[in-house]
Formats: sequence, C-alpha cells, structure tokens
Amino acid sequence: MSESKAHIFRHNPRSWTHRKERIAMCFLRMMTYFIIFCASYLFLDIAIKGAGTVFSSSFPFVNVEFLSGSPQTLHVFEWQGEKLEMSDAQFRAWATANAIDAAGFKTDTYAYSGGGILPAIIGTVLLVIGSMIIALVLGILSAIYLSEYARDTKFIRAIRLSIVNLAGVPSIVYGLFGMGLFVLYLGWGVSLIAGWFTLAFMVLPIIITASEQSLRAVPKGFREGALALGATKWQTIRTNVLPYALPGILTSSVLSVARVAGETAPIMFTAAYAMRDKMPWEADSVTGFFTQGVMALPYHIYVVSSKIPQNEYTARMQYGTALVFMIVVASIALLSIYLRQRARERYRW
Amino acid sequence: MNKAADTDPNQETGYKTATAGNFRSRRLHFLGLDSDDIVKAFFGGNATLAIIVLLLIMFFLFKEGSGFAGQNATELVSFRQSGLEYVDLMRSQLNAFNDLPRHLSKMEAEDIKFRMKEGDELKEAREHTKELRDYTMELRKAVRPLDRHIKELSETSIVLRDAYKTYLNRCQEKDNLQREADKAARRGNTELENRFRAEAAAVRIASIDVAARRATVTNRLPEFLAINAELRAKLGVLLENAPAVDREVEDEMRRFRSKAQRFIEVSLQTEDKLRSWDAERPMPFSRRITSFLFGRDWVTNSYFQDWYGVLPLLYGSVVVSFIALFFAVPLGIAGAVYVNQFASHSEQKFIKPYIEFISAIPSVVIGFFGVIVWGQFVREASGWAIFSWIPGFPISERLNAFTAGCLLALMAIPTIFTLAEDALNNVPKAFKEASLAVGATRLQTTIRIVIPTALSGMISAVLLGFGRVIGETMVVLLCAGNRISIPDFSDGFSTLFQPVHTMTGIVAQEMGEVVSGSIHYRALFLVGTLLFFISLAINYMAQKIMRRYSIAEK
Repeated sequence: MSESKAHIFRHNPRSWTHRKERIAMCFLRMMTYFIIFCASYLFLDIAIKGAGTVFSSSFPFVNVEFLSGSPQTLHVFEWQGEKLEMSDAQFRAWATANAIDAAGFKTDTYAYSGGGILPAIIGTVLLVIGSMIIALVLGILSAIYLSEYARDTKFIRAIRLSIVNLAGVPSIVYGLFGMGLFVLYLGWGVSLIAGWFTLAFMVLPIIITASEQSLRAVPKGFREGALALGATKWQTIRTNVLPYALPGILTSSVLSVARVAGETAPIMFTAAYAMRDKMPWEADSVTGFFTQGVMALPYHIYVVSSKIPQNEYTARMQYGTALVFMIVVASIALLSIYLRQRARERYRW
Repeated sequence: MNKAADTDPNQETGYKTATAGNFRSRRLHFLGLDSDDIVKAFFGGNATLAIIVLLLIMFFLFKEGSGFAGQNATELVSFRQSGLEYVDLMRSQLNAFNDLPRHLSKMEAEDIKFRMKEGDELKEAREHTKELRDYTMELRKAVRPLDRHIKELSETSIVLRDAYKTYLNRCQEKDNLQREADKAARRGNTELENRFRAEAAAVRIASIDVAARRATVTNRLPEFLAINAELRAKLGVLLENAPAVDREVEDEMRRFRSKAQRFIEVSLQTEDKLRSWDAERPMPFSRRITSFLFGRDWVTNSYFQDWYGVLPLLYGSVVVSFIALFFAVPLGIAGAVYVNQFASHSEQKFIKPYIEFISAIPSVVIGFFGVIVWGQFVREASGWAIFSWIPGFPISERLNAFTAGCLLALMAIPTIFTLAEDALNNVPKAFKEASLAVGATRLQTTIRIVIPTALSGMISAVLLGFGRVIGETMVVLLCAGNRISIPDFSDGFSTLFQPVHTMTGIVAQEMGEVVSGSIHYRALFLVGTLLFFISLAINYMAQKIMRRYSIAEK
C-alpha cells in the first residue's frame, strides 16, 4: 500500500482525484486526532489538578493523609497572621495543644474537604473482590455448560440470545433490581452483600458471553483428538479446551473488573454510603461485616461533585479522588488490553 | 463434586457415547450416574442458576412495575371523584392567564437590556418602562379574585381526595381479605377462613358521601362564572388601554395581544368544559397505562396532585442521546475508517488501544469533568461574539442537554469506533484488492467498496452506541440539569441548551427517597422496565442487522 514507489500506473500527484484523496485523508486524520485530543484533555486535566492532592513534593511523595484518612470537615482560619488549613481531627489536636476551646473558635468549615479517602478505596476493593468471585464462578461454569455440554436446541439458542441482550441493559436497571430484590424484598438493607450480588448479576451476561466465545474459538479438532484417544468429556475439556480458552476468559474477566469498579448506578442504593466513619473490618460481628454499607470511590465522587457546595477546597478533594479512581480503573483496563494483545499473538490457529 | 470427576483415570476408559456396552461396567457409578454425568450436572446446575437469576431480573422488574396500573387507577378515580379534576380545569385556565404578565415582564427586561445597550443608565431605563410595569401590576391584580377562589376550592377538594383515597384503599384491603377467605373456604380450611373473615370484619371503613361533598365544589360554579366574566371584562378594558411601547418590543406587544385574545377563548372553553363535566363519566381502563406512557407531566410530592407521565423524561433521554450521536457518529466512523484504511502501522498500534481505553473511563469521572470544566466552558463559549447570531445565546444554564450530550458522545465513541473498525476489518481482502487492481484509488475503494460492504456492521455499531448512551446514568444525572419539563420548541435551536431530565436520571435521583410499594416507587420501576425494553430492542435490532446483511461471515 506504500505510495512512495513510482511506477507506471501511479496516479498523477497533481490530478484532481489525487488531491481529493489527500483532502479526504487529512479530514479523516483530523477527526481521529480530535477524539484523541478530547480524551487526552480530560486525562490531563484530572491528572494535573489531581496530582496536587495525591502527590507531594517532599518525602514520601504521596499525600499520606489523603490516602490513609477518612473524609472530614476542613477548617480554614487565620492564626497569628498565617492562613491555616486543617482537617477536623488535626484541628482538635491543634486546639488542645494551643489550649483553645475548639467549639468556640471560629473557622470557615468545608464539608468533605479534609482528611482522605481510605474507606472509599477499601470499599471499592471489597465490592470488586466479592462481586467478581460470584460472577466468575457462576459465569465461567455456565459458559462451559453452554458451549460444551448443551445441545444446540431452540431453547438453548433463545437463552443464549437473551443473555447476549441482557449484556446491553443499562446498569441503573440492575441497580433498580438489586434495590427491589435484595435491599427491600429480602430485607438485606444497604449492605455489602446486596452490592456484591447486584454488581455480579450486572456483569454476569458479559462474562458468560465472552467466555463462551473464547471456548468456541478453540478448534473442534482439539476436542475430537482427545475424545478419539478415549478421554472422557470432562478430561477433554480440562486438558484440551480450557487451557486454550483461558487467556480469552481472563481478558474478559479483567475487563469486567474494570466495569464493576467503575459503575456507580448499581451501588447507589444497594451498597454505598455517602459517609461512614468505621472501617469495614470494624464491624461488630461476622454477619455484620456482610450487612454493612461501605463507602465507594465512584459514589464518593458523585457525592462531592453534586451534593455539596462547590469551592476551591472541595475541588481539590474531588480531583484527588477522581485521579485515584482513574488510576485504579485504568490500570485494570490496561492490564486487560495488554493481556488481550498477548493472547492474540500467542494462540493462532 | 469436582473431585468426584477426577476419579482414577484407569476407570475412565471410554467416551460415554461411544458404544457404552463394553466400557460402561468398569466405570464408577454413583446413584446410577457416572462421573461424567455428574460433571455435566454440575455445570448444568450452574448454568440453570445463572439463567434463573437473569430471568428473575426481568420478572422482578415487571412484578414491581405492574402494580402501578392498579394504584394509578385509584389515583385517577379519586382525582375525578373528589372534583379535583374539576378544579384542575380552572387551574389550567389560571395558568394560561398567568402567562400574560410573565410575557410582559420578559418584554420589559428585554426593553431595559436594549436601552442599556444604547447607553442608558439602569435607573433611566427602568424609569422609562415604568408605565409597562404598572400595567403588568394591573394585570396581576385583576386575576387575584380568581386565584383566591381556586385556592379555596382546591383545598376542599384535596381534603376530599385524601379521604376518598383512604376509603378506596380500605375497600380494596377488605376485598382482598374476603377473597382470601373464599379461597380458604374452597380448600376447606375453616380455621384460616374464619381468621380472614374476622380480619375483614375488623377493617373499618368510614363511609363518605363523595357526591355531596363534591357538590360543595361544583355548586359554586355560578360564583366562578361571575369572577371569570369580570376578569374577561377587566382584561378587555386593559387591552384597550395598553401603554405605548418602544419600537424594539412592538412585535412582542403584538404577540401579547394575540395571547390575550387566545386567553379569552380559552376561558370561554373552560366554562363550557366545566358545565359539561361529569364526575361519573367512566374512566377507560387504558388510562391507567396511557397516563404513564403519554402523560406530559412528572410531578411528585406536590400538594395538589402527583402525575407520573414519562414523556418529559423520554424527551430528555432522546434529545441527549441524539446530541451525543450527532457528534459521536461522524467522529467514531471517521476514526474507524482512518485507522483501518489509511493509518500507518505505528499509528494503528497507538490509536486503537487509546480509543479502546477511553471506554474504561468511569462514567462518574466524565460527569464530574462535565460539572467542573465542560459546563463552565459551554456557558462561557456561548457568550463569544461568533455565536451571537444564535437566538437564545448566551445561555444561562451551565448544565443542560448539550453539555451532557457532548460528554456522552465521548462515551459512545469507543463503542462505535471499535465495532465499526471490526466491521471494516471483516471485509474480505479480495474485494479491496480487486478494486485497487482495476485502478481505483484508495479513497474510491474505501467509499465504493469497503464501506458499503461493512455498512451493516457500522449501522449496528451506531445502534449499540445509541444503546450505551441512552442507558447511561451518572453523566446525565450530573450534567443534564435535571429539570423535568418538555421545553417550548418555539425557541428553536436553543431548545437544545435547556436543562432536561432523563429516565435514567430520575430513577437514580428519586429511588433513594421513595417509600417501598408506593405508587411513586412503582412508577420508577415502570420507568426501569421501559428502559429495559428500549435497550433490548436496540440490541436485538443491532444483532439482526449485523447478521442479516453481513457478507463477510458467509
């Protein structure tokens, strides 16, 4: 396709056709780079403004309080000619140290603008781990059944079609379902476990569809070879199908991890609290661990960007949270893109 | 169970279906099943569970949503029986009137703005429009008796409506208990029957004489007619003595006059409607659903009457999606064509993963970006001189349909790009080569051969992008402005810059606060069901198109 080589059938570079082609190509290239520009602007905006909150210029180069504390009220005040900013806990300690009555001392307070986001990070991690375990077990096993065992009857085909279609259902509908069934009907309340199941069912169709596709991509000959040697069906699947389908399955599941971590709508009414002081492991009993609500990064971003008055102090917090969240989700997504590229190169038949 | 499958390999010597006879006896059996059957049953069980769960989702949505029809019937019947509908007719006339002074105020503001541009001080300008302001005041004063009268009537009606609704609910409760008792009786369970009967008897229904109490409202029609006639007379006088206005707003004044004329007609029609209004007119069964599907108001927690009409929300969802697609389709398709047909290898290797990566940005982050950065920018940009020719600019609302639509476009681009690129990739190489061989340029080949061949795939890519956009929640919740109304389309282009509310947004916003089982709760589930069907339809269509017209697969 190289156009550099001059040969006798080459188009005349000064001809109208040729010029038209150049213009069209230029136009298409501009459109493409415009997309990249828009996305990059968004990334950079969040990265640059968020970096000020998450990182610091001195050792240890990250804002420890931001990554290890809970959200708190920020106090801003003047003290001996200096402008001081302190989160609530710091302020109290400072007030005690300077023998000042904390309650009577007048400061400007900004809700949610001090402290850190550790509970939200942990909540997101817990939500992702739990829901992925449920979704992967159910999803991969179902996919194995559908692709290896089930006969190609009308019924199975209808089921397959409905699963594929369910993958496109908006996440808010799953949230609605989770709220109706788990939170209200089964009475679990706003809890970790309700969030797990809601998120798991949201990605289940995606996992089943993708896993089934990678299972089906394994050539028939592999199975027939094993069966011809006298292996049982299960032995065949275990030794000759699963190893080759695994990279594909892995990729799809990593991608659904990114989706689970990034979704807000399904956990809004099933698992997320706007604010919770206790860490999840401080639950009073084993069952209490499952029935507690947690904070989550996406919901935290939603709360701080829509429910509280905006000012420079909250903006800092918002950008910091958004950056941490982007880093978490983006690294998962990058991992999946990397895995997919490798899988594509490794298995070709 | 997995363990059971891994029994000693020596025992598993044959594939099950291969003439079982010889090998079968040597296999380990458990309850008549050999290990392979058990494995199969394990996987099958899992698949069944997953499928049951997914079916449960649909079932649950329908179940919760379907309760809406019944509750809505109670709402509608009590609305009519209590005479609130009657009062509502008067209210809509009142609203029509209130539009007149509003129109004048807007006109005055415009006049002042114009004068200030000419160099007047604010004070001077206001001095100049004083006459107009007084006139507006007169109008407002003229409608006061009507306003008072309607307020009185609606208070009476609301009390009656609430009482009647309680009465209807009680009746229903009793009916249900009675039915349960009958059912128990048929089964011969006397104990249960007696318990239900006792419970049914315990339900106390305070009987209310709806007709009589409603009559206290409807009997005051002559009073209303008198007030109305007086209002019309006053309006006629006022119209004759309208103040002279500046040339700049003369058009507006003319529009005001015609509006006032229309109001007089409306008021006469309202009187006719009131005379012929009949509380006993039957409520058609379909109204229960049509008032949801075609209702133009979504009003909740109001003191007067709640309405659950999905149209404004549907309008919001659709308009936001179309704005998004307006940007996303050309960009996504152009990107796909470029990357697939023209880009160098190294460009391809960079652009493709990058655009795929955009789809991993969480929607809430995009929404946040919209609130903080993009919304601000849109409002600022609307004030630029190059846009001054557009009516309605500069816009006042930072968060509106356009803001949200642009951000949604960013979300739809990766979907459209990836799928369209796949479709282009699936075009057989021979097609392209043949075209190039006969001397077509690359552009000609792309436009005449490659794109038409991949068209079905590209259409379904656009459809799936549409599905993604219409189901998106966080971006519209944060950036669409959340105003529930069908805008006035006479504003033309700037209608796109008005705040809207969407179906996904309303569910996210109101679900946290509703009482479980209330009509509001059910209405939200019904919205969810509608969304579910819309996305199913889009997905299904996309697949159909893809399969129907694809050449590459054959």
